[in-house]
Amino acid sequence: MGIVVTGVGLVSALGVGVEQNLASIRQGVSGIKSKPEYLRTTNEVPVGELSMSNEELHQRLSISPGEHLSRTALLAILAVREALEDAQVDLTRRVGLISSTSVAGMDLTEHFFEDFIEDESAGRLRDVRMHDCAATTQAIMRYCGIKGYSTTISTACSSGANAVIMGAKLLKHGIVDCVVVGGSDALSAFTLNGFKSLMILDQSPCRPFDATRAGLNLGEGAGYLVMQREEEAMKWYCRLAGSANRNDAYHQTASSVEGDGAYLAMAEALASAGLSPEDVDYINVHGTGTMNNDAAESAAMLRLFADAVPAFSSTKAFTGHTLAAAGGVEAVLSVMALHRGILYPNMNFREPIEPYGLVPVVEFTQGRDLRCVVSNSFGFGGNCSSLVFTR
Amino acid sequence: MEQLIQELKEHLIEELNLEEITPEDIDAEAPLFGDGLGLDSIDALEIILILEKYYGVKLANSAEAKPVFYSVKTLAEYVMQNRK
Amino acid sequence: MRCYIERVCRQSDVISDVKQLIPDAGLRRRMSRVVKSAVATGVECVGGVERIEALDAIVTATGWGCLADSERFLRNVIVDKEQLLNPTPFIQSTFNTVGGQIALLKHNHCYNVTYVNRSHSFEDALLDVLLRIADAQSENVLLGAFDEQTPSQQRIMERMGLFRRCQCGEGAVFALVTAKPTERSVAQVSGIEFLAESISKEQVAKRYGVTAEEELMYNRYAEYGLYPTASAQVFAEAVERIQQGVERVVVYNEYLGDSPTIIELKCIG
Repeated sequence: MGIVVTGVGLVSALGVGVEQNLASIRQGVSGIKSKPEYLRTTNEVPVGELSMSNEELHQRLSISPGEHLSRTALLAILAVREALEDAQVDLTRRVGLISSTSVAGMDLTEHFFEDFIEDESAGRLRDVRMHDCAATTQAIMRYCGIKGYSTTISTACSSGANAVIMGAKLLKHGIVDCVVVGGSDALSAFTLNGFKSLMILDQSPCRPFDATRAGLNLGEGAGYLVMQREEEAMKWYCRLAGSANRNDAYHQTASSVEGDGAYLAMAEALASAGLSPEDVDYINVHGTGTMNNDAAESAAMLRLFADAVPAFSSTKAFTGHTLAAAGGVEAVLSVMALHRGILYPNMNFREPIEPYGLVPVVEFTQGRDLRCVVSNSFGFGGNCSSLVFTR
Repeated sequence: MEQLIQELKEHLIEELNLEEITPEDIDAEAPLFGDGLGLDSIDALEIILILEKYYGVKLANSAEAKPVFYSVKTLAEYVMQNRK
Repeated sequence: MRCYIERVCRQSDVISDVKQLIPDAGLRRRMSRVVKSAVATGVECVGGVERIEALDAIVTATGWGCLADSERFLRNVIVDKEQLLNPTPFIQSTFNTVGGQIALLKHNHCYNVTYVNRSHSFEDALLDVLLRIADAQSENVLLGAFDEQTPSQQRIMERMGLFRRCQCGEGAVFALVTAKPTERSVAQVSGIEFLAESISKEQVAKRYGVTAEEELMYNRYAEYGLYPTASAQVFAEAVERIQQGVERVVVYNEYLGDSPTIIELKCIG
């Protein structure tokens, strides 16, 4: 039984909506700004921040600011509404939601904690109401009219991809008729300082897969797909032909030198689709811009594709690393790449990483004959996921 | 110098939460990473914090910093040279 | 959909053996209380070497995640004004820390996913396991649930008025699940349901045709203290009841305002 993608929704630092995001990439305009504008922090580092305040997001969604939703939920609702509309989902059917997040309502919890640390009877309780991950999912359900089975996944930066994998299983087993899958993460002082403490934030715009790369830029966003069973869909963008999640089992944060997890995830995802490495036309790589990730991912690609590594690029120099949302954001970009034959440029690339010598796509091109696109998402805890989309 | 080495050992044990290890167990000249104490990249970040927090010494996490991280003794030498 | 339970372990079973279960001091010294006890419980549950090698999925569940580390890092950010931050609590605050650390400790490269869906986390993880087994993607799975309480979280929940009727709780429960019955199987999971509306004890009994010899565990989670994955404790208790000779146990849970879930367990054969 085939699983097809029938709708897409996307919000990132590039803007609101799939078309806005694609237009920015086509024009070569990055969403990375020199320092946060809305996030409360003293860290002046480049970030991929959406230029809208929480109040503006509430307004745009016609949700009363008094509802006081977390930024993660607001971004998610924007993207899910777009995806539902795009697929013209009939919400009276059994529509499910598999959402993912890593920071959830942390942006609000941070406000609460400032007061709470001083005095445990202080801090507004409405600021911790959305702390847990499920609260984001519940808010999406409520404001998007989704009533079927729902769950929330959190496996760090591969979360969004794992939501796609679970959604496909639910469709296959007839537990839902239609499923919305993806992830959302807002910028937070928690994560920005977290990556700062790991000393992997680049002080300049990030340069994935470049020899001089010096870390990642944190981003925010939400990316969701609507998926259905092929025989019940009227029209679709592409098929989800295969997927896999495997573990690197090397280190809590670092990737193995040989890219074991990444290699296993890509290899198994292709095998599950009944495809061979030579069938792949484009890979939207995880490519965070850290020394470690890009080297390990290069090693894994060389292991799998040998001297025939397909066209690949990281879109994180445009969006920043959107953590749990990355799997969803990049799944949307991968679906659109396949549907419109787009190869996205890997912004800020100049020199290949030695000894791998891999050169990503550097020019935006459209109208290519793409048949198979792979999207990679890797996270802490050795969590590695790959999705395979075909026409 | 000896006192600084002793202090550094105590900070390492405390901050890295090294179980069942006393300052006497740490050979000041043995490698901290890999075979020696078996520390890893996250510990390197914590050691950078120790140097900054207790001695006001800043160190970047780069290839040039690698020799400094070799042993407790090399850390102590670096602190002596750079302490304000 | 169906799966078999070979073993169930609770955190209290392993407290004295943590060092033996997590021999890697390098990993152990960074672990918070919940991570240490949950990882130890998971490792104990997998049992011997041959089982570890056969393990082809690790699926974990947590409602709150690693709260103590999250809080530690957040305090560090606020109190130290975003300076001199220790990365360890940030790294360990990730929801998939327990699943990831078990994989790391056991050099296991298999499927490893974490569900964080409030009181449904454990049931969602179990559903994933059932689906993977139905698709022949897995044969030997480690399924686990954990949550921890911290003084701050207790204070916050108290302010929210959640403890008027019960105490806060915490715990870790792991189950070794197989696709086929083995000579070590002790129970089978024969059904799982996610209901939209709450139903009475009588309605559940009628829906499942629960007889006098069988057992219905209706909303028993709070006996283990109020925490999102407390239903995993009731699940463990249901497995124990079947080991004691009860032929079928139906577990109904409806945590706070969440929609109800039902798990049906039966004896083997």
